[in-house]
Amino acid sequence: MRTITRVALAGLVLTATGCQFFASKDRDVVQKGYRGTAMEVNYVARNQEQAMAELAKKMPAILPPAGESPPGPLPWQNVQVLNDISVAEFNRTMIAMATWVAGGPGNCAYCHNLAAFASDTYPDGQAIYTKAVARRMIQMTRNINSEWTEHVGNTGVTCYTCHMGKPLPNGLWFYTDENQILRHYLDGAGARVVSRTITPSAANRSSVKQTEWTYALMITQSQALGVNCTFCHNSRQFASWEQAPPQRVTAYAGIQMLRDVNTNYLAPLAGTYHPSRLGPMGDAPKAQCVTCHNGVYKPLYGFQMAKHYPAVWGTHTDWTTPLPPPFTTPPAPVPMDTVATAVDSAAAAAAGTGVAAPAATVPPPPAGPPVRTP
Amino acid sequence: MLEYQNLFTRVQVRTALDPGLPIDETFGQRYGKGLFSYWAGKFGDAQIGPIYLGFWGILSLVFGFLAFEIIGLNMMKSVGWSPVELVRQLPWLALEPPSPEYGLKILPPLKQGGWYLIAGFFLTFAILSWWIRTYTRARALGMGTHLAWAFGAAIFLYLSFFFQPLLVGSWSEMVPFGLLAHLDWTSAFSIRYGNLYYNPFHALSIVFLYGSVLLFAMHAATILATSRLGGEREIEQITDRGTAAERTALFWRWTMGFNATMESIHRWAWWFASLVGFTGGIGILLTGTVVDNWYLWAVKHGVAPQYPAQNILTTEQLEALRGQYAGRLQNGYPTYTMPASAAMDSTMADSTAIADSTAAAAPTGAN
Repeated sequence: MRTITRVALAGLVLTATGCQFFASKDRDVVQKGYRGTAMEVNYVARNQEQAMAELAKKMPAILPPAGESPPGPLPWQNVQVLNDISVAEFNRTMIAMATWVAGGPGNCAYCHNLAAFASDTYPDGQAIYTKAVARRMIQMTRNINSEWTEHVGNTGVTCYTCHMGKPLPNGLWFYTDENQILRHYLDGAGARVVSRTITPSAANRSSVKQTEWTYALMITQSQALGVNCTFCHNSRQFASWEQAPPQRVTAYAGIQMLRDVNTNYLAPLAGTYHPSRLGPMGDAPKAQCVTCHNGVYKPLYGFQMAKHYPAVWGTHTDWTTPLPPPFTTPPAPVPMDTVATAVDSAAAAAAGTGVAAPAATVPPPPAGPPVRTP
Repeated sequence: MLEYQNLFTRVQVRTALDPGLPIDETFGQRYGKGLFSYWAGKFGDAQIGPIYLGFWGILSLVFGFLAFEIIGLNMMKSVGWSPVELVRQLPWLALEPPSPEYGLKILPPLKQGGWYLIAGFFLTFAILSWWIRTYTRARALGMGTHLAWAFGAAIFLYLSFFFQPLLVGSWSEMVPFGLLAHLDWTSAFSIRYGNLYYNPFHALSIVFLYGSVLLFAMHAATILATSRLGGEREIEQITDRGTAAERTALFWRWTMGFNATMESIHRWAWWFASLVGFTGGIGILLTGTVVDNWYLWAVKHGVAPQYPAQNILTTEQLEALRGQYAGRLQNGYPTYTMPASAAMDSTMADSTAIADSTAAAAPTGAN
């Protein structure tokens, strides 16, 4: 009898503490699908608030609105992009960009020859590749904000969304064996693996291994956004669009946007970057979901930074901007299955068994944090 | 008699070492005279050995060792031959089957799955040799071959992971050798074939698996609970029913209205355990060969309930949102080629080309 009493008491205590845990006001479980299907998202409010407070501490303040521009003709000598905004707004944007990308409002030298701001070369005649890249990035930002509203909504993006005060955003990737799955964000084939028919057909010959590659790709998205599978999928049938939450449509637009950004803006810059910025195959750094999202399903927790900066908006993106002469010959198209061999031979060259690696002859790289891949 | 109420073995029988029955030692002999181990006695019989390996036992160990070495050395190579890294990263290391582009090629390049096939062949040979050993040893001792056939059910499941890729036409379907790698494979296999939980043979296999656990616990508890009444002499009580058999039978009739007998409970356990592998293997063989999407199969046959759609998408939007299959041909991956726009002349960014390719890249429904 005493045993039964003890067990009953223990059960009562456990139940009480369990209720305490699940009813905690820090935890917010939001039902996202039909009842009984476990389509739920867990929010831990405490962590979220803490993370938002930390972000608010390091996020640069919004600059005061631009004042009146000086009268008279436009003073520009070599402004090839952003020449559709006022002089005052232009200067304000330049200061903001120094903070967003180069680490501080006074770091103009990251992209400019301080002796001649209009110049595209350093005093020694060398091309300022950061300036050329920045022009292209401005075009890209405008393209994202005007053409990809399906993904960025009216929140939009600024340089800070990805750069967060650093020259190199998070999650940049190059052609390597490990990154093959990320080529879905550039030129990869489809990622679908689940058949739409009950019986097998020649239409879908995807193997289990291809499924694992798609799975790996999906996990990069899951980690980039800090969400689990049910944020975008009904896990009883991952392929079903009908049963998927609406977020999956937004995410799909995001993949299309990344393919646009990587194909038309980032990959073509391979010849423009300093060689130290390139990957082992000589390719330019490319973006993935985590580059903007940084672990949050709404970048910067949905903070609408872009609305304070008119320069990042507008449909005018078609400035023709000549890029400086390339440091290196742009790499030839790289078929996917040759990457492993090429990386091997590049490593062999670096080890001194082959011809000297071209990287050994170029000047030291400009200061900047090392490339991080998650 | 208090010892019998304990959950742990309290009695260790120590007499002269038992060498066992005289056997035909043409193909192998017993090694050692045996020894007593106190700690072995805590879990079972205190006597260890003598050991009989014989022809099939030695063959099995040799091929098993070869497979183990090939897998281990490949894992070690993948961490640059560093023993420390091998230990540290062991859960994530794997020897992977060939890529889809090799189809059913007999021997792909060693680095691209050739080693995997060789290791798999050796492992399979080792397992089959061990099966022969369980069969011949049982015969040599004049026993039935129940154990060999139960083991055979497990081997059937193991071999179905070889025959299913054969039927589907690609080695890349096979299970990788690796701790987490084979678990990832399980997940990917389920997703690829539209959620294996809707495969009825998968469901049956789970029923028998959990059923085996339940039966095991029920039987063990029943015998331990009546051991002070002679319950551990269950085999004698099959024919010579004593108070232990009477009480356990009455207990189960009281609690669930039906009781197995001292004999039939072992048949229950044998069939449940054997059917785990047997039904599981059938489920694997049907997957990708007869049924490609088990969820859709379950919907058609009224197994999976239908819920209201979670979003409002038109038929056109749904069509536009469905991407391409990763594998459209047998060697459909990797098929990546750089599109022309990615390799455009980067000395001059052509803005008109950007506008065109953006429109082409975005599906009509998504943008």
